[in-house]
Amino acid sequence: MDALIPLAMEQVGFAYGSHSVLEGVSLRVNAGEGVALLGANGAGKTTLTRLAMALLHPDAGQVTTVGRHTTGRGPEDLAGAVGYLFQHPEAQLFARTVHAEVAFGPERLGWSAERIRTAVDATLEELELAALAAHHPYDLPQPTRRLVALAAALVAGPHLLILDEPTAGLDRAARARVTEIVLARRAAGTAILAVTHDMEFAAAALDRAVVLVAKGVARDLPLPELLGRHPDFPAPPLLELARRLGLEGVRPTAAALAPLLTSRPQTGTLEA
Amino acid sequence: MSALRMQGVGFTYPGAPAPALSDCSFAAEAGQVTWLTGALGAGTSTALLVAAGLAPRHTGGDRTGVVRTLGEDPALPASRAALGGRVALVLSSPATQLSGIAETVAQEVAFAPANLGWPRARIRSRVADAMDAVQIAHLADRDPGTLSGGEMQRAVIAAMLVLEPELWLLDEPTSALDAAGRALIHDMMRREATRGAAVVIASEDADGLLPVAGRLIVFASGRPAIDGTPRAILAGDQVWRAGAASTAIAGLARAAGVVAPYPLTVDDGVARWTR
Amino acid sequence: MTPVSRAAAGRLHPFTPLVLTVCVAVLAVAAPGPQTAAALYGVTLLAVAAAGVGRAALRALVPLAPLWLFLFLLHAILGEGDQVAVLGLSLSRDGLALAVTQACRLGAIATASLALYASFSPARFVDAVAERGWSFSWAYLVVATLLALPRFRARAVAILEAQRSRGLRLRGSLLNRVRAVGPVTFPLLLGALAEVDERGFALESRCASGVTRRTPLDPPRDSLGDRVGRWLAGALAVAAVLWRVLR
Repeated sequence: MDALIPLAMEQVGFAYGSHSVLEGVSLRVNAGEGVALLGANGAGKTTLTRLAMALLHPDAGQVTTVGRHTTGRGPEDLAGAVGYLFQHPEAQLFARTVHAEVAFGPERLGWSAERIRTAVDATLEELELAALAAHHPYDLPQPTRRLVALAAALVAGPHLLILDEPTAGLDRAARARVTEIVLARRAAGTAILAVTHDMEFAAAALDRAVVLVAKGVARDLPLPELLGRHPDFPAPPLLELARRLGLEGVRPTAAALAPLLTSRPQTGTLEA
Repeated sequence: MSALRMQGVGFTYPGAPAPALSDCSFAAEAGQVTWLTGALGAGTSTALLVAAGLAPRHTGGDRTGVVRTLGEDPALPASRAALGGRVALVLSSPATQLSGIAETVAQEVAFAPANLGWPRARIRSRVADAMDAVQIAHLADRDPGTLSGGEMQRAVIAAMLVLEPELWLLDEPTSALDAAGRALIHDMMRREATRGAAVVIASEDADGLLPVAGRLIVFASGRPAIDGTPRAILAGDQVWRAGAASTAIAGLARAAGVVAPYPLTVDDGVARWTR
Repeated sequence: MTPVSRAAAGRLHPFTPLVLTVCVAVLAVAAPGPQTAAALYGVTLLAVAAAGVGRAALRALVPLAPLWLFLFLLHAILGEGDQVAVLGLSLSRDGLALAVTQACRLGAIATASLALYASFSPARFVDAVAERGWSFSWAYLVVATLLALPRFRARAVAILEAQRSRGLRLRGSLLNRVRAVGPVTFPLLLGALAEVDERGFALESRCASGVTRRTPLDPPRDSLGDRVGRWLAGALAVAAVLWRVLR
């Protein structure tokens, strides 16, 4: 990944007609960061993601996504460098096979057949969907279709992934999969901006919280400083447990915490 | 008489290769929160649709066995009139549960009582109470289409609460809600059970339902596999072997090699792993 | 469709715009010549402006303008028979009359329809039906049909945006646009069908089976003006039909 800043918003203002939604908003998301975009309904979260995606253009200020100013551009100009997972993305599936569905984006980008096949196979492998490559997406259960949509957003190797309620309606196993994939992509340098109310997912997969309140950014802080320290954002169980066991800095997932607890005896003292 | 009774019930969706329910038998009582859980496809959602009569009436397919919802067979056309307003069905996707014709949230909540011909005064007061109970009174004049997923779900629940139903059938009602919203709904369910309603809820949210449900039934392969008290079941291995999940802490304990019974809450976990 | 319009249209009884629109359509078809058709169009424009939904008249011009141009070309310029000179052009007299008649007919119908759409309030309509004790089912059918279009459109926009974010381009060649059809229409139709299915569940569980007489939540006032307006329009429409049939 080169030195492109995945998302930079400077003093951005936006209004729907006469109704101002964002004023003087500045936000930067760097490579590998995981940002949870939080705030009450109407605070402007969706508007912000649509500005980042060039579906909307700012009335004031500048939005620069993966190094390109969004003015005069549309989402099709950012495809490939930015992946966007809408709410209930299963609604956008249309191809006859999972493989074709995931290949749609790269085809639109003009990739060679060879390159497309390699990328699609690799992405399906990553999401454990390889066995379903020839299936019709509509024959699959909803959580699996969500993963197909996620694969479609990831296949071109985006620098920035924008997710809108990615875990809504998913069962526990699928939520865990999405968490793993987000962490893996972040480690590879992809920046993540996720609108979510699922604090378990946020605590496990993301590191930074940006809270929007009435037109602006109210708070921009590391997620652990928000969760459990503010009445609107209680800490999910694993985070609370980790804190009370003195394991504050550890990622609050079973995978990260289990090895540290395996060695503890039944009623032993805290290990260093 | 149980509020809901199923005996040897089988159900296959039209064109499906395998039955969704097979020899399913259980009963849910008034005054209790009965919690159903299971892996994807284990049959909990289908059980609720069958209890409501929507399967097979709306979904098509074949049903076998005996189903009695508040004493009626819900699949019979005649039972619609008998059960109208007494059974509340709440599904997990709020947008499609809206009537589609209400211009305000208050009108949305008033939809069912108006259909049942209640007098206006009664509708108005019950609607106000229901909206207060799920804390959406401030949204009364909003267009339902502009609500967030969480607000919409609470509006749908208010729209059922207004009827003071005898039987609640809820399928993952809190999936669109944040922690505060989940707590609100779980609280409301406990109050409904205290009021004397039977509450049957299909959910994966073990952490949320552990303090609320009096009974847990774990489904596997289209029928109840384990039936008992939530704490006892969730602390064991069986629930995992059935493909379902327990609380987050129990999951962590299992991953850490702890032997059952697993700690279930944060307090249990702290007690387990420290002096 | 806006929630309860504060304009005069919002104070009319819900049946009034519906009946008036149907009558305008009947009168438009029955209008025999350019003068009556133009008069009808004029009256429709005035009524729509007075009701506060004048923007509908402007919006109607979008599809109307090309149609008018086509009619003008077809009948007035290419028409035969007696010629008359207008602004330096030699136009067919009969053709011009026909073009004006057709144009005003279409204008009246389009304007009335869009005005109805803009002022329609589903809740008030359902209340009006409930107040008369008529079946909720057919009221719901009317409302659902009228609301289906904006919902469909909103869904299409969402799907289009999703596909654009994957690189689907709309501008440019015809080939591009043809390519866009599949990725948009297929999920659109499937989604719409699934929604109909799920909504059936919701209506059922909210006791909308139409057996009991529904309580109107806020019965709309049916003023003398409303009733006179509807009867008058209806009488005119019937008279126009009879007159055309018996001529």
